[in-house]
Amino acid sequence: MTVPASSARGRAAERASIVAIDWALIAIAWLMVEFLALAFSGRRGPTGMLLTAEQILDLLHYAWALLGGLGLAAAWSALERVLGSSPGRSLTGGVPASEAELPWSQTVRGWFAAVFIELTFFTGWLITELELVTFLTKFGKAADIVRGLAHPSASVLHEGLILLVQTIFLAFMATAFAIPIAFVLAFPSARNLTRGSRLARIGYLVSRTVMNFVRAVEPLVWALIFISWVGIGPFAGVLALWVHSVAALTKLYSEQIESIDPGPMDAITATGASTLQVLRYGVVPQVIPPFLSFTIYRWDINVRMSTIIGFVGGGGIGYILKPRVDLGEWGEVGTLVLLIAATVWVMDILSAKIRERIV
Amino acid sequence: MVYPGGVRALAGVDLEVREGEFLAVLGLSGSGKSTLLRCINRLIDPSEGRVFIFGREVTALRGAELRALRRQVAMIFQQFNLVKRHSVLSNVLSGALGRSKLLPSLALAFPAAERERAVGCLERVGLADRAESRADALSGGQQQRVAIARALMQQPELILADEPVASLDPALRHSVMRHIEALNREEGLTVLCSLHDIDLVARYATRLVALRDGRLVWDGTPAGFDRATFKEIYGEEAEPASGSGMG
Repeated sequence: MTVPASSARGRAAERASIVAIDWALIAIAWLMVEFLALAFSGRRGPTGMLLTAEQILDLLHYAWALLGGLGLAAAWSALERVLGSSPGRSLTGGVPASEAELPWSQTVRGWFAAVFIELTFFTGWLITELELVTFLTKFGKAADIVRGLAHPSASVLHEGLILLVQTIFLAFMATAFAIPIAFVLAFPSARNLTRGSRLARIGYLVSRTVMNFVRAVEPLVWALIFISWVGIGPFAGVLALWVHSVAALTKLYSEQIESIDPGPMDAITATGASTLQVLRYGVVPQVIPPFLSFTIYRWDINVRMSTIIGFVGGGGIGYILKPRVDLGEWGEVGTLVLLIAATVWVMDILSAKIRERIV
Repeated sequence: MVYPGGVRALAGVDLEVREGEFLAVLGLSGSGKSTLLRCINRLIDPSEGRVFIFGREVTALRGAELRALRRQVAMIFQQFNLVKRHSVLSNVLSGALGRSKLLPSLALAFPAAERERAVGCLERVGLADRAESRADALSGGQQQRVAIARALMQQPELILADEPVASLDPALRHSVMRHIEALNREEGLTVLCSLHDIDLVARYATRLVALRDGRLVWDGTPAGFDRATFKEIYGEEAEPASGSGMG
């Protein structure tokens, strides 16, 4: 039931968004051309060395690229008759059918895309400092690490096993505390339950925004925050994984609520039941099995994450792994890595089996 | 009634239903039958127009008042809409939610009197022996009978039935329709039932209205509505759905 953008205002808005997309793409292409030109110009920096990628990024003329990009995007929009549809138009889905059937090599837009991809690849090669020769010739140094990993040392096995238990419980507690909060937050975060009133729509927006933000911050960063709050140790790790799990589970749960069959909700509403009763009878029974499945999956992810969280002081097996990596005790590192791999592997199988049973 | 996006589902329907009637609403898919029924208990809010039940303006009610009115109006759906993972008995008990205490009902607990009444409702539809089964373990016809028991449990004065037999095997249609007919004849409940099968209309309804493109195009007794009238209203292309051959 989409309303076609028939009004003049709608057409203007569509054209503006097309030009905006073209502007961004052309400006990026422009900058990549300048980057590659500088890189291959042989120009040297103040120390007499060839310019590094970071120095080149510093030298680029961003304002010119934006200005030129805007000019070219506007020109393309004006000369659409001659040049054919622009990338912006094809991304907004407005390419005429006659043009959409042409092979890419017969459209300006196709050539632009091809050149854009090439530019991205070469620029990316330089910016990430890929050095194929080094990769192929300097294996020697890494060889003793691999040798060490392949000869795990038993000296750390005892301590490793004890911290492994801590790791698994750390993940479990983080998941367990996340369940009730995510369960409650999932309802105001589900679109289909929040159309009723203005208050509900505001609740939806607030909950979604906060949860997206919390989820965007990595658990390692949360761990740093909680370590300065409650000190180094597994408790900080539990809190870090808990916060992240609440956000992740809320998203998974609410998406599940959005996909339920609305029929039972209608039926319960029609009996004169109140909102809570409609949720209890019309929604909850439909989402319990998938909720269980998501929760176990989340525990699985948390076990994986809790092995790393110790790197910054969040407890668990990572806590003793980090100093051994720093000291180059590769045999002991090998033992710990094997323990982690085995745990993750077992959790993976277990969680898959349990989830198979539930759904 | 206009849906977001500009689809006008109902226009200028002026309809008065008398107490105790079994009113059939006939129409092709998309003719507005479901919308009409759902406007009556406000599962859909009509964009304009007013609906009165028992002298009260439903379209003006809010919150607790609306819920109180819904208790008097039970609904039966084409897809049964049972809580599949709950027991048959729990599904019937959910008909009593409107008059139940909130906290116990959230724990799925109901007073003994209500439980007895629910068993009684199941006996009426011949499913008392399946009370403990999970709802989705029952056949389609049985599930619709559970939905009828749930409607009965509600102790309503009006029944809205939206294509109650359309997703059932033709051989089972009459067994379900007879239960709805019993609610009308024995309990004296007013029934509004949308159907697309004119044989069922002729057999069960006391009055018939027909909808086309959201407009009321026929109002009268089922006896005056034959296949010729059907073709006249819905066009030569439309073939009236035929009954099950039973009954």
